[in-house]
Amino acid sequence: MDILISSLVAGLLIGSVFALVALGLTIIFGVMDIVNFAHGEFLMIGMYTGILTVQVTGLDPLFSLPVALAVGFALGLLCYVGFVKYLLRGPMVAQLLGTFGLMLFLRNLVLLIFGSEDRGIHTGILVGKSLDLGMGVIIPATKLAAAVLSVLSFVAVYVFIHKTKLGKALQATALNRQAARYMGIPAERMNALAWGIGGATVTAAGALLVNFWSASPYVGLLFTMIAFAIVALGGFGSIPGAFFAALVVGLITEIPGIWDFFTYTFDNDWMADVPMNSFKYTGVYLTYFIIMVVRPRGLFGWKL
Amino acid sequence: MMKRFSMGLAWCAALMLIAGGWLVPSPAAAVKEVKIGVIYPLTGGAAAAGRELRAGAELAAQIANEVMDGIDMDMAKKAGIQSLGGAKIKLIFKDHEGNPTLGADLAKKLILDDKVDGILGCYHSSVTKTVSAVCEQYGVPMINGSSTSPALTKRGFKWFWRTTPHDKWFTKDLFELLDGLAAGKVRGVSGVKKDDLQRLAAACERTEWGAHVADLIKTLAEQYGYDLKKSILYAAKSADLSSEVRSLKAARPDVMLFASYTSDAILMVKTLKAQKAKPKLIWGQDAGFEKPEFRQTLGDNIVGILTRTVFLPKVADIKPVAGQVNQLYKAKTGHDLGGASARAFTGVQTWVYALEKAGSVDHAAIQKACNTIEIPGEQLVVPWAGIKFASTGDETGQNVLGSGLIGQYQKGKDGKIGLEIVYPFDLATADMIYPFPGW
Repeated sequence: MDILISSLVAGLLIGSVFALVALGLTIIFGVMDIVNFAHGEFLMIGMYTGILTVQVTGLDPLFSLPVALAVGFALGLLCYVGFVKYLLRGPMVAQLLGTFGLMLFLRNLVLLIFGSEDRGIHTGILVGKSLDLGMGVIIPATKLAAAVLSVLSFVAVYVFIHKTKLGKALQATALNRQAARYMGIPAERMNALAWGIGGATVTAAGALLVNFWSASPYVGLLFTMIAFAIVALGGFGSIPGAFFAALVVGLITEIPGIWDFFTYTFDNDWMADVPMNSFKYTGVYLTYFIIMVVRPRGLFGWKL
Repeated sequence: MMKRFSMGLAWCAALMLIAGGWLVPSPAAAVKEVKIGVIYPLTGGAAAAGRELRAGAELAAQIANEVMDGIDMDMAKKAGIQSLGGAKIKLIFKDHEGNPTLGADLAKKLILDDKVDGILGCYHSSVTKTVSAVCEQYGVPMINGSSTSPALTKRGFKWFWRTTPHDKWFTKDLFELLDGLAAGKVRGVSGVKKDDLQRLAAACERTEWGAHVADLIKTLAEQYGYDLKKSILYAAKSADLSSEVRSLKAARPDVMLFASYTSDAILMVKTLKAQKAKPKLIWGQDAGFEKPEFRQTLGDNIVGILTRTVFLPKVADIKPVAGQVNQLYKAKTGHDLGGASARAFTGVQTWVYALEKAGSVDHAAIQKACNTIEIPGEQLVVPWAGIKFASTGDETGQNVLGSGLIGQYQKGKDGKIGLEIVYPFDLATADMIYPFPGW
């Protein structure tokens, strides 16, 4: 029983972080219909930002969050103004290949600067601590903090988009770019804002993740894939959709734990021999694949 | 027409002369240096091990090339290879990043471009596998010091020799220790029943090496009568191992067994701690579990963890020569010799003996020398009976005189954490901590 509850809790916690990862992707897609392949690389840069902040300032890793937000926002803006703006003039395929190139560029840049070694944070007030909920259910403090802060950030962005004038302008641009422009909304600046928020949220997620997830220049791809699956599941451009889809995806990655539960409940030998752990992310990709085949606009998507 | 033909003939003759000149074996005295290509993981997940391996190999080459006082080793008393007129050993390092395909490419480059006389490497069994296949193809001798997948010497290769004992011996040692615990043979531990240690769970990284260890654990657990409840293979590059650890914990094991490289070993123990896993024993199959980084990063958290190993600084108490080399190594790197560096050292040392015996850099001569070489145990830093390769049978190229150790991390009187020998029982340097004290 403990393994079942542990797995479900772990799934929901990591799902909350995944939600913040996917948020930027869905905003950028919603506003400008561009798929950002470099999304995971932003997260990777967030991880390195976290590590560097800790190393340089000696502060606890949790305090690297504001730094990561600032770095991410600046990076998003820079990528838009210096690069993506020009891609928009080209055909769709140029946009796809363009962000793909951005991904390769960022990855190799980090590889050049930091090398390919895995790095992690091994100190901090939360590292190594955990909450014991009884019955063998144990929640590592770093994960809980990451999940809570992710949800808070997510809600903040949601409120910003729905309650502020700027946010509404962003939403309007996403709904109908032409009409928004007629209303005097500067579409160009909205694009830049979308990239800024997109960059900031995913970089923040990286800074939260690095407390328990080791960083390497190659870590981005996994998260790009996960974010794609979440955005497909939740509907392209849908923010609440992304949140719930992220929780579902978080639970999907915990299928091995649920499998273990049944293995030990039935004390089943063949079930114990199935290497479920090796297929942790297969479920996520499979979900993505099925949605793409059955309903390419995403499960709850409203954009065509 | 005739003229052109005779011109051609003259050209051919000239060519043959030049080529012939190349083919005539050069006299021994003309060899100034012997080039050994060394392929190690200098970057990537095992970079920490790579640095250690490199430092160990470099130190051995230095001792071989110079006359060094105060080291009771034959190769320290002479400068260079005597039978080659004092030729120096030159190591050419290449970085395989843990990638078997890259390793094979590097081996080809070393053989064809750098024209090396032999190869040493490669740490990861998966890389050693592809590199040794290239060496076999080109007929270039390769000595392997630290890859422990048993399969490597089961292929009947004619150009591959392995100095280290392999995982079957090491894993057997573990089960001997478990049996020993129940039989009351372990120093400082009594009253343990076999039932207390019945349930096992294993997590091994899933390349060549880890997957083989997983198989061995399974087979040996059956042989020795233990119940392997769960066996997991995971990617060494995993950035998060929490679901793996939960899965292990759910099996409620008495003993947890691991085969991990460096960064994943650290992550594994961190995750075990975060999940408050509390088995009675934690045993690591060398590699990541005995790296300096493992100790530095995890500090007090590793007290009580066991690791099999081939070398501990404590060996210096038994073998003076190990202590002498350890001093030099510590001066060079700031660390004590570890399993990786001691075996890299021994790998280069074996090359020195092979070349000395061959008296030539001709590949066939080196091959013959390797097959008949015998290095006495007192020459080695590692606690083996010596080095002697099987040249026939189903373990072709395997050193038959090697043996392993099991160490346990304990806090010494000076507050520093170090490995104490707990197996073999007669070499034990401290009482074993049992059960694992937890976090």
